[in-house]
Parts: sequence; C-alpha cells; structure tokens
Amino acid sequence: MKHWRWFDYKKPIPAPAVIGLGVSIWVIFFGLWEMSSAFGWVSQLLVPGPQKVVAALYNLIAERNFLGDVGISIYRIIASFIAACVIAVPLGILMGSFRSIEAFFNPFVSAWRYLPAPSFIPILLMWFGTGEAPKLALLFIGVVWFLTTIVMDHTKNVRTELIETALTLGGNRKQILWTVMIPAVMPDVMTAMRQMLAMSWTYLVIAEIVASTNGIGAMMMRAKRFLHTDEILAGIFVIGLLGLAFDFLFKIAHRKLFPYLETHGR
Amino acid sequence: MNTPQRNIKLSVSDVAKTFPVRGGAEITAVTDTTFDVMDNEFCILLGPSGCGKSTVLRMIAGLEETNGGAMTLDGHEIRGADRERGMVFQSYTSFDWLTVQQNVEYGMKLNRVPKAQRRERAAEFIDLVKLTKFKDAYPKQLSGGMKQRVAIARTLANSPSLLLMDEPFGALDAETRWNMQELMVSIVERTDTTVVMVTHDIEEALFLGDRIIFFSSHPGTVLENMLPEFKNGQRILKKEDALTLPGYADMERRIMRLMREQGTDHTDDL
Repeated sequence: MKHWRWFDYKKPIPAPAVIGLGVSIWVIFFGLWEMSSAFGWVSQLLVPGPQKVVAALYNLIAERNFLGDVGISIYRIIASFIAACVIAVPLGILMGSFRSIEAFFNPFVSAWRYLPAPSFIPILLMWFGTGEAPKLALLFIGVVWFLTTIVMDHTKNVRTELIETALTLGGNRKQILWTVMIPAVMPDVMTAMRQMLAMSWTYLVIAEIVASTNGIGAMMMRAKRFLHTDEILAGIFVIGLLGLAFDFLFKIAHRKLFPYLETHGR
Repeated sequence: MNTPQRNIKLSVSDVAKTFPVRGGAEITAVTDTTFDVMDNEFCILLGPSGCGKSTVLRMIAGLEETNGGAMTLDGHEIRGADRERGMVFQSYTSFDWLTVQQNVEYGMKLNRVPKAQRRERAAEFIDLVKLTKFKDAYPKQLSGGMKQRVAIARTLANSPSLLLMDEPFGALDAETRWNMQELMVSIVERTDTTVVMVTHDIEEALFLGDRIIFFSSHPGTVLENMLPEFKNGQRILKKEDALTLPGYADMERRIMRLMREQGTDHTDDL
C-alpha cells in the first residue's frame, strides 16, 4: 500500500484510512449536533444536545424502569418472531419443494402479503383487547407472509442437479427433503430471517406507539406528551442499538452454523 | 478387456422422446434410438449440440420419461431413477455442507450401509480419485476438477450397476480435463465399471470410448455405432499415446466430418 490515492475507482485504501473515515462521519455528526444546540442554532427544546440525551437515558434507566420497557419490547420481538418462523420456514420449504403445496397455499399467502399489517391494528384491538396478544399478532402478521414467500423462493432456487444426484444415488422423496432441500436452503433461510427481523422492529414501534402502555415505543409517546424530546431521542437511540445487536447475533450465528461457506481455512 | 464373449449390459431399443410445445404441438427430440452397451464397456454418446444425446442419457438415468421404446439394464426394465444408475453431472453437485468424506458416504447412507463399512468404502474410493489429503475439506475449498472427482467417487462408492456421465469435464480447463480423462481410464480398468458418457468433444470420445454412438440432430437418433478399431481392443492409458496409433487420425477425421454435416444443418435452420 505504498502508492494510493483517496480517489481511485474501486481500488482499496489502507485499513487505518477505512477506520478513520468510518469514525469521522460520526464525529462530524455528533459535533454538528452538539454545536447546533450549544450555539442555539436550533431550539434547545426540539433538539437537545447529545449530552442531554445521554443524561436522559441514564435517568430513564435509573429512575423510571426503562429497562423494563426495553425487556417487554425484546420479549414481543422474540415471541412473535419465533412464532412466525415456526410457521413460515417449514411452509416456505414445502411450498418451494412441491408444486402442489405451492398451488394450494400461494394464492392465499400472496393475498395477505399485500395487506399492510398496521391496517389490522383496530380489529386486533377489538379481538384481543389491550394485553400482549394484539401486539404479538401484529408482529406475527407483519413477518409471516413475507418470510414464507422468501423461503419458498430460496427453496425453488435449490439446484435441480442436487435433487437428481440424490435420486440417482437411490434417495427417496423424504430423504431428499431432509438431506438435500433443507440443508441446501438453510443458509438463505437464516439470511431471510435476519432481514425480516429488521421489519419486525418496525412493526413493534408502530404497535407500541399506537396501542400500548409499555415498551420503548410507549415510553416515547409518553415523553412526547411532556415535551421530553431528550427521552424520545434516547428511545430512538436504544432501538437502533438493539437492532444492531440482533443483526450482529444473526451474523455470528450464520458463521457458526454454516462454517462450510467460508472459502479458506477450516 | 480380454474376454471376447461379453454380455449385453444396457439395451436401448426404439426409444423416443417428444416434448410438448405451446399450442399443443410436440417436438420430437429423440426417435428410433437403438443401441446396446456391453458389460464393462466405456460407451460414448457423441454428437452436435441439440442432438438429444443428453436426453437419451437422462432417460437411461430415469430422470426423464420415454415416449415409446424399451430400455433394460442387466435384463431388467428401467423404471425411474435408481441407485443402479448413478449419474455425474456437468455442473458441480458436491453438497456444500458435507466434507469430501461425508459426500462420498452420502449415497451409502441413503441406502443404509452400516457406518463402519461406509467409512471404509468411502476411504477406498477417495483414494481411487486421489483426494485422501482432502477428505476433511469442504467442497468450497476444492477446485472444479476436485469437485468432479468427489462426484465420481460418491457415485462409484454407491456401487451402481451403470455409471452415467453428462459432459462431466465440460466445465474444466484443458489440462484438468485430460488429467480427468486419464483418471477415468484407470478407474474403469480397476473397477470394471460400465460407463455411458455424453460428450461433444471428439478427442475425448476417441480417447475414452470402447464404443462411440454418434447421434444425428433433428430429430436425434443413432447415426453410427462405432468401435474404435485403432485401439485393438485395448484401452490407452496416456492421451498422447493415442495420437500416434495408426487409424486414430482417420477416425478423428471421419467423426469431424460427421459433426460438421450434422452441425451445419443445425445452424442453417436458424
């Protein structure tokens, strides 16, 4: 890396430069934010500085049981997401494997996919009242149809030659499902789950803002009522952090579960 | 190779294949196809692209239905895909999630061969294709030629009665290809396997084939059933040794002319 320039088409730049650039965008962002609030460029009430947001977060955790809200939000994500995966993954694999199963379910699944999940909020509230059920149901509806379709598409992309190889080795249909279709599609299923989890967070915030008294979204709506912009921003910050953490966990799991996808080393 | 009286292993008679096209019409891909393959013979199906040779191979494998005609293997009628007829494809079919060893054991596992026996037999065939050093590697770490060797070992370890190969070396670079061809000769010599292999590579056909079935195109059918006489009933172990044999060039020239005739017809159609 002796001779390099900042601007060369598609050429690598040294690692320290990569890290430095990645850090500086955040330094600039926080710097501008801090300055705009310190110098009074924007209203202190509408845009509190970063320090105030951190202080608000500390205060929320220490005195207002914010971790309880965070906990309930995480519970909603995990419970609804597991339920959606338990239905969507097997169904998607079966639909992608067998044309008859696809022909039966697909008209139904596709139709539901085009209904925006939040449009169900009023009816879910009438059916399930104000407990956990309507929130879990919304998150479930928001994920299950999409995930089914994506898993189906990935399963359809399992190469025919792999199936035919197993057939000419004497495999029966059941063996091929378990030893070819499922292992072949699993890495893509994990990737699809990772993407759908991000969607799940979106529906969670909608559910908690519209129809909840607890959870991160509900805390933010309460803060709005008392003009606590610092708490709202703290909520957004925590949601972003949790999203990143979940994504990171999925990435690690992917690497651990499918070591054979690495080209070098063992 | 020395037994003059050999039995018929595979018999293909009057086999036909039609594909439906839009508007209820049909295209005849293969028609009146008849040939026999003897026990322990390396049979090549050769012809221009689009002549239906791969379709014939797939029908023998049981992966494609026939529309008329009959096929028997060891005297039994062929019905559907079966471990009796193991197939190696042009595209790589190693299972990414299994090591080389597990890939080679895979067929035997499907057929419930006991574990110890499976291990031993897999090791034997991995050795045969010279991959012992890589037995614990995953396919992603292997070159194209090595992946094809895994596929060959996996199929043979499953003890099929007939080995089918659909342009198995078509995706490999020239040097790897002739290494693989020489490896195939040594494997067939050592295991007494009967092979039916599709190719459009004339040199490959001449080097490997104990029998060469040449297909015409539109519709696909057997144009010539040739026994390469220049080999005198012996297999050639090194590719360069074939070139100097009297009669090799004549046969190559003859097949190239056939290929040109059948191939040009095809381009004129377009």
